Amino acid sequence: MAQPVQGQPNVQRPMLAPQTDPVMQARIEADFKPVYLAVGGPGHAFAFCQPHKVEKCDMCKLDFTALNRISKIFITNPNLRCPPPPTVLQQKLSQAVTNTKEEGNTLYKHNKHREALAKYNMAANIAVQRPPWESSALFREELSTVISNRSAALFELGDYLGALVDAETVVSIRRNWPKGHFRKAKALVGLRRLPEAEQSVSLGLQFEPNNTLQGGASKTHANTEGE
Amino acid sequence: MASVLVPVLYVGIVIGSLLVFSHFYRKRNTGKLYEPYFPSHPERDVYVTLLQQSDPPVHEALLKAALLRRAMTDVSRVVKLREDKPALQNLLQKGSIGDDLWNSLLQAEKELEAEILEVVAEANTFVEGWGGLIFQTAGEMLANEKMRGIYEDTSAARARKGNRTTTWQGWQGHRAPCS
Repeated sequence: MAQPVQGQPNVQRPMLAPQTDPVMQARIEADFKPVYLAVGGPGHAFAFCQPHKVEKCDMCKLDFTALNRISKIFITNPNLRCPPPPTVLQQKLSQAVTNTKEEGNTLYKHNKHREALAKYNMAANIAVQRPPWESSALFREELSTVISNRSAALFELGDYLGALVDAETVVSIRRNWPKGHFRKAKALVGLRRLPEAEQSVSLGLQFEPNNTLQGGASKTHANTEGE
Repeated sequence: MASVLVPVLYVGIVIGSLLVFSHFYRKRNTGKLYEPYFPSHPERDVYVTLLQQSDPPVHEALLKAALLRRAMTDVSRVVKLREDKPALQNLLQKGSIGDDLWNSLLQAEKELEAEILEVVAEANTFVEGWGGLIFQTAGEMLANEKMRGIYEDTSAARARKGNRTTTWQGWQGHRAPCS
């Protein structure tokens, strides 16, 4: 199922030499309010709040964590002058994630659920290392598969709450994937919340009506409800 | 017999005065400023503050990161305006809202266009040709950051769920009949 790489909707860029409206420019400049920040860290490449020198300050209501994270990527890759287009990817990262996930899958099949969980955690950590400007569609696929498998492992270990949280993560990042809803339904069944489980299954079936696995689960829920 | 000139003159004066009035009215309205649609632009403020810092001079990496964050905010605002516009138009036609909010939105659109041009120009000062790419990159980064935020919220979400379960169970015992 090839998913086309889709960025946000295209911003209209004028074809001719853009003339900035001086009135608007003046408004932009008038709108400027200086921020109380201080620059520090190695190479003066990180921002902190000025009075407290913290990255994320609740008192000054400033949060530079994301900014510093991006800056760090630039610092650690001095050859990277500007982020490449989203189609340029790091091959090794995807491979590492897939390999770790497959190792986890093998362990899961051999009923070694705790080790499988460790592998899935590792895979998730690797997947999150991806530079933020790479294809978000690929990131979504990888992360959702790993977290879905982790939810299954947690379910087998009896941690229904953790499985539910993971399944909800999967559903919120990839809503049209029936497996995510299936995992959520299973976790809810484990928590004895059957009506919600049935809702989850029916929502998942809406995305893929011919999904046999979920169809079977739906019938099972209907039977257990009737008891 | 009254001359034909009189009604013609009358019509001419009426139309002339209408034209004169509309000319001055329009002139008065173009300079009018409406309430800003978006309250402030914190990422732009951070970027300009960093640019103005000269002692010690800021590393280029931090400036590029600040520019990327600014572009990300701009992309999210473009999306929001696109969503809000037809909805506001509908409300305006039905008469539920006044003209001011609609004019604010139009003004915000023009401001955003100027802002985008500025970001493109700034991007080109760092790396030639980056301006054409930066908004595509910003879009991907927005999606990425959203997913990463959900993932990192996992343990907090678990704590919330844990609390809610016990509260629900505790409440069930003391449930009063709805009257």
